[in-house]
Amino acid sequence: MNWVLFRRKLADRVAFIGAALATLFGLVFLFWILWTTFAQGVSALNLRLVTEMTPPPGADGGLLNAFYGSAVMVLLAIAIGTPVGLCAGTYLAEHGRHTRLAAAVRFVNDILLSAPSIVLGLFVYELVVVPMKHFSGLAGGLALALILIPVVVRTSDEALRLVPDRMREAAYALGLPGWKVSLQVLFSAAMSGIVTGVLLGVARIAGETAPLLFTALNNQFWSANLNAPLANLPVVIFQYAMSPYDTWHALAWAGALALTVFVLALNLAVRLFARRRSFK
Amino acid sequence: MINLAPQVAGEPAAAPVTRETKIDIRNLDFFYGKNQALHAVNLPVPVNAVTAIIGPSGCGKSTLLRTINRIYNLYPEQRAEGEIVIDGENVLGKIDLADLRRRVGMVFQKPTPFASSIRANVAFALAYYEKLSKREMDERVEDALRQAALWDEVKDKLDQSALSLSGGQQQRLCIARTIAVRPEVVLFDEPTSALDPISTARIEELLDELRGRFTIVIVTHNMQQAARVSEKTAFFHLGELVEYDDTLRIFTNPKHQKTQDYITGRYG
Repeated sequence: MNWVLFRRKLADRVAFIGAALATLFGLVFLFWILWTTFAQGVSALNLRLVTEMTPPPGADGGLLNAFYGSAVMVLLAIAIGTPVGLCAGTYLAEHGRHTRLAAAVRFVNDILLSAPSIVLGLFVYELVVVPMKHFSGLAGGLALALILIPVVVRTSDEALRLVPDRMREAAYALGLPGWKVSLQVLFSAAMSGIVTGVLLGVARIAGETAPLLFTALNNQFWSANLNAPLANLPVVIFQYAMSPYDTWHALAWAGALALTVFVLALNLAVRLFARRRSFK
Repeated sequence: MINLAPQVAGEPAAAPVTRETKIDIRNLDFFYGKNQALHAVNLPVPVNAVTAIIGPSGCGKSTLLRTINRIYNLYPEQRAEGEIVIDGENVLGKIDLADLRRRVGMVFQKPTPFASSIRANVAFALAYYEKLSKREMDERVEDALRQAALWDEVKDKLDQSALSLSGGQQQRLCIARTIAVRPEVVLFDEPTSALDPISTARIEELLDELRGRFTIVIVTHNMQQAARVSEKTAFFHLGELVEYDDTLRIFTNPKHQKTQDYITGRYG
């Protein structure tokens, strides 16, 4: 009798300790990575980071062109990816809701969602870079957009399907056409979900390196030309971290810290936004 | 009460409510996939009066309402057969659904305010149908809110979120939003079943005021409510129209045993 009880308590304790250790194991690495990035990055922070270009080996410099290039390409990706993704998501959740085509599109989109980003980079390389015969920021933005689109499709589809049917019926019962219902009733009801999806998508593409290697490449100098190779943070971090120069290492750490803080801030913004505008 | 004795059961007496038919439902069948929910329903709905539809749960009363404005069309597995003739036109045929729904408004069981301001909720459909100046629009919004007996409670906070209103206020906002586009018919699908008794009383008063201006069809689970607000009552059971008559007769001298059993609370 007592033995059974003891055995249960023992099993409970063992399971608990096992679970706690596993959690700790995961968290240790997370904080280790964050801490290293933070410690190494902070010591490399200075004003030159945002006022000077990426330097040649041995010289001092900053990351201005890389920040600029990354920002431009991410904005380009948002400009292309959000409308396309939102329209597709609306089709899936509303107009094509009960069709086989929608089920097929949803399935393919899920595959695209988990496609390795390097494959998408290669795709854009073949599609844009090869015919144009040079790397470009345009191609980089396009590659990032292709990664963003399935994220936005998925999240806007889900956010819209979470809007109760009675809202849809109420809007249609007023005699409004489908586009008006989607645009003004359903989008505003699903807004927090849709924005959350876009922000999470941006957090994902901000750090993508592989697709940019094949498309935007990199640029040592200042360039605002979208039709030319464009500097960007992930590729700069990659190249500088692999280099033998200490000054480049420091810049890579600073860039990594900036990227981490940006993604962290985006995630916090998502949380705040979702809490503030949760649909009743 | 007036004397009802002379009316012999089974004999349609000279009805006190004889009006032109606004909605003529003819031989209506309704299907949810393979399940048939309505069987050969024939029901003439009089113009500018209140017609109540009563019956136990699952008898098809909400289904009937949802065929009249064809809101069921949002769901491809649902279909209706037969005819619903409104002003001489069969609305189950090929028609402009948006136009039908503008003419036939609907208020649902649960309040469904849109996630925007009180003013925007009322102005929303109106702005789509009519080109109005800001002043005209303000007047129409005020007019609709007054008709829905909500104006005095919200006139100082028109730009606040509609979600901040109480349940009863939200339901009256939905009524205001529906009548703002000046429909001919308003369908009420158990409009008070989610509300407290005081809000329910207000909505019933409101129904009384809207009577005569709109053709109203109300589905209700509450027999007292049907008796209080309607001129005509239709009793449904298992997807069939059992009895349709003046409300007074249905509740005092029904012809069918099933109706009798239902209104005396033997089942339902």
